[in-house]
Amino acid sequence: MAEAAQGAGPAEPALSLDAVSSGYGAVSIVKDVSLAVGAGEIVALLGKNGMGKTTLLKTILGMVTPRGGKVTIGGQSLSGLSPAKLVALGVGYAPQEQPLFQDLSIRDNLRLAVPSDRHLPEALERLFGHFPFLKDRLAQRAGTLSGGEQKMLILGRALMLRPRLLLIDEISEGVQPSMVERLRKVLLDERSAGLSMLVVEQHVAFALGLADRYAVLKLGEIVDRGSAKAPDAQARVIDHLAV
Amino acid sequence: MLDTIPAAARTDPSGRRLSRVAPLVVAALAAAALWVAPAVLDTFAVNVLTRSMIYAVLAVTVDLLWGFAGILTFGQAAFFGAGAYAAAMILGAYGATPLGIAAGIATAVAAPALLGLAVGWLSFYHRSTPLYASVISLVVPIVVTQLIYSGGEWTGSSSGLVGFDVLPFEIEGYFRLAALVLIAVTLAAWILVRSDAGRALVALRDNEVRCAYLGLNPRRLQIRLTAALAAVAGLAGFLFANASGVVAPENAGFLFGTELVIWVALGGRGTLLGPVLGTIAIDYLAANLSGDLPFLWQLLLGTAFVAIIILLPGGLADLVGRLWRMLPLGRAERAAPALVTREAEAHAATTDTPILQVQSLAKAYGSLTVLENIDLEIRAGELVSLVGPNGAGKTTLMRCLSDGTEPFTGAIAIGGTSTTGLTPNRIVALGVGRKFQVASVFESLSVADCLRLARAPHDGLNPVGQDPTLGLPQAALDVLRMTSLDRLLTRPARLLSHGQKQALELAMVVALEPRLILLDEPTAGLTKAERTTIGTVLKALTIGRRIAAVLVEHDLDFVREISSRIVVLHQGRLVLDGTVDEVVGSELVRTIYSGGAHG
Amino acid sequence: MLLTLDILTTAAILFVVSIGLLAIFGVLKIINFAHGAWLTVGAYCAVVTARLGLNPWAALPLAFVVGAALGGLAEHFIIRPLYRRPLDAILATWGLGIVLGQLITLAFGRDVQLTPNLYAGTVAVLGVEYSAYRLVALGIALVIGILFALTIERTRLGLSARAVIMNETLARSLGIDTGRVRLVVFMIGAGLAALAGVLLTPLTSVDPNMGVSWLIGAFMLVMVADASFLALAAACLVFGAAQVLISTFVSPILGSIAVAVLAALVLRVSPKGFSRA
Repeated sequence: MAEAAQGAGPAEPALSLDAVSSGYGAVSIVKDVSLAVGAGEIVALLGKNGMGKTTLLKTILGMVTPRGGKVTIGGQSLSGLSPAKLVALGVGYAPQEQPLFQDLSIRDNLRLAVPSDRHLPEALERLFGHFPFLKDRLAQRAGTLSGGEQKMLILGRALMLRPRLLLIDEISEGVQPSMVERLRKVLLDERSAGLSMLVVEQHVAFALGLADRYAVLKLGEIVDRGSAKAPDAQARVIDHLAV
Repeated sequence: MLDTIPAAARTDPSGRRLSRVAPLVVAALAAAALWVAPAVLDTFAVNVLTRSMIYAVLAVTVDLLWGFAGILTFGQAAFFGAGAYAAAMILGAYGATPLGIAAGIATAVAAPALLGLAVGWLSFYHRSTPLYASVISLVVPIVVTQLIYSGGEWTGSSSGLVGFDVLPFEIEGYFRLAALVLIAVTLAAWILVRSDAGRALVALRDNEVRCAYLGLNPRRLQIRLTAALAAVAGLAGFLFANASGVVAPENAGFLFGTELVIWVALGGRGTLLGPVLGTIAIDYLAANLSGDLPFLWQLLLGTAFVAIIILLPGGLADLVGRLWRMLPLGRAERAAPALVTREAEAHAATTDTPILQVQSLAKAYGSLTVLENIDLEIRAGELVSLVGPNGAGKTTLMRCLSDGTEPFTGAIAIGGTSTTGLTPNRIVALGVGRKFQVASVFESLSVADCLRLARAPHDGLNPVGQDPTLGLPQAALDVLRMTSLDRLLTRPARLLSHGQKQALELAMVVALEPRLILLDEPTAGLTKAERTTIGTVLKALTIGRRIAAVLVEHDLDFVREISSRIVVLHQGRLVLDGTVDEVVGSELVRTIYSGGAHG
Repeated sequence: MLLTLDILTTAAILFVVSIGLLAIFGVLKIINFAHGAWLTVGAYCAVVTARLGLNPWAALPLAFVVGAALGGLAEHFIIRPLYRRPLDAILATWGLGIVLGQLITLAFGRDVQLTPNLYAGTVAVLGVEYSAYRLVALGIALVIGILFALTIERTRLGLSARAVIMNETLARSLGIDTGRVRLVVFMIGAGLAALAGVLLTPLTSVDPNMGVSWLIGAFMLVMVADASFLALAAACLVFGAAQVLISTFVSPILGSIAVAVLAALVLRVSPKGFSRA
């Protein structure tokens, strides 16, 4: 796994958050979060709604300005980088809120994610490798895909530019178990090819099945973390999440 | 976080009296100065300044609408033109007899007022946008101008009307009349915006939604304001027709409407004196300079306008104001009102009827079903928490409960009254208070003013001054005390911390004396201490004061601590409704939260 | 027949005049009240072309280039700082319109300018003698409409513009330079406005304030169309027809306000205007 972590030395984690805080206006959402994703590692970030998971992802991506702390990717500081630069740096993002242009065709949705049209054929090839069913449906409106199919398109889009680090926001939400299984298989394939991931989830079984380590975010702070493979991991996480 | 000096200690009673008398003194001095001014000015200046002062009356109306109430309008020209034409036509037909003059004034005020009512009705309706109101305000002058063109002999078509009888004044007389009207209108506007009622204008600008959810009717306020200021513009039109002896279609035109906005913007919107002085200065300069450098003058004015809008949105008055505030005299703060307890009005129906009844409620956005088959009853004193994962429909349910114009099926009743089709302000009148997820207060108003507006449906607002006391029900006073907001009554809401804003909004909602409070994540983004305080407040309200509450909340420790019942929503359906213990121990809830239950 | 031709050509002219405003409103969500001034700038490009003794049709590309260049400057210095203050942007662009109008006055004087007719004479259409130029204008409107539609539907820029209209946050998170899209769209919109100014020269007198009278009509049409290209075409046809019919059968003065009044009423009833259909 280590030799596949392109470029990042062994001491250099794929993603590192050092005491990151952020929020909107007067509201502070993420408080003093430190977290690292090693090269080729999958870290699951769990927590209920409104606990700051999505805000944390957006802070990493520079869509929310951090109030404090430092975000580095492969050793490079991210402050002030535009989303286009992040894409060029090898960061893939599968968002949860309004992730697709529902009224555009699938092809147009994908075109918008590549820096120029000449990158498209190669990217599409990669996409079809993961999700062949999309091949015959490029002309279809993205909004006509089922919920699970849309999630596959979102994940495929994030993967098609060969990212080194993938940030995923609730990819399993509202997806049938059989399709969740397909998503998991794709993610595991990518991991064995060396991709590092930060996986934000509420689906505990899915997240822990995938991840090497987990962290639980509550009210913007990490309240628990550990190995996802520990026998009591699932019970501990659910205790934090359920009523 | 706390002010160590109580606000009351800072207020100096003599300073307060001074600030009340000062505008009257200034107005009297200005009137005296303008009374003698014609003696020292040449005829040209007297003529031009008469016109400038009439225009300044219009600027005051534009400033009230745009600078204070946030309605960008180009339409005041139309009302001005309507008033001017009404005056010219009536004086032309009946002559400047006492009866003719009286009829002229009456029509010049009434016709624009009626037109203003119609325009207001067209511009403001539930869910109308500020842009739409501006669009209408552009169309109105165009329509009025075209009507004037097609009026034939009645309106003199494109050449306008001349030669009608006018008031028996010399040019000095008109100058003094215009000056008195300008001073009277400015003073009245000044008193209004400083009064408690004037705060409602600013509240409308800041946060129309909050106004509606305080039970105020924003539409009615906006329509009345439009009509009243149309009447003032009509009066200015009457003056103009008499002073100039000519009325022309341009007086009602859209270009004149935009000029008014430019003058107000340069002078400084939201300051009254800025627009008045700005209008007089610019119009007077224009009359003097446009003869010598006609195009250059317009060019300079246009450039200045663009620069001011981009760089100094507060206009020139903002610059002056900044200097003024550096002086010690300029730092006088509004006095904090004394808090007094207002007896809560007894709610008639304290019978067994549930406060909230929801029957087979369903809602869909297009083909997407968000809520389905929801049945729920809530009684006095209950604190019901609504929990469930993302997209379960919690916020949608809250929206349906507080706005009867949301398209939904099924029935919602508050105290037995169906809410279908009711706008939020009418649901508030049934006894429902809603606290939003992001604290919804009036950012530019002080804490005391925010609370006073919450009391407006019960106690009204003083239109000429500031009440020295602020009466609040005990429950609201408790919220203020527990959160120490009672020491920050004069602080503008925008300077409060996030937690203080949440507390202020809660106090405002409680001040409505609701029977049912809807709270959407009241603790989001709060510190642990603040969360505990809010929890204590909510418990006191429900257990102590028998208010019912519905709470959407993600912090389950918090939910566990304060709820009397928990309702679980999942994928738009109500899957569990029980006591805290029943829900906490439920296997189903664990499955839902581990992501297992789908379909 | 005459009436049909009048309706079609009126709709075509309204469309040409409004399309630049629509492009800007759709992508930037900002109402360019200097639109009228750009029409005027375009018309004076025709004046300059004539003075230079060039073919009158050369004014079209010249106007597009001049309009787009001025648009680029305006976007950078005036629109960008006001991106989050849309009502103030209306005012600032109105002020810009005043400035442009006065600069033109300083350069060319206040008087009405004569421009050569782009296409003189009449032609017989199904037994009716009709102004040849109005028919040419109809053709040009169709060409502009088709080119515009192709740009929107087929080019990467058009795709990016649509993405910004639909969801600017998502577009930016995918790495699209939304600032550049806004700049380019503003330039195209301003260029199209200037182009429309040239096309107006045979139909209206050319003076420094000529654009203002077209502004409100264009503005109302765009409000009703709500950023939809097809809705704009439909609105131009419907309101153009109303204008022609009311002018012919009721009164030309009422006809001249038909577009504004009808559009305001349509918006009152259905705030999304024609775009919902």
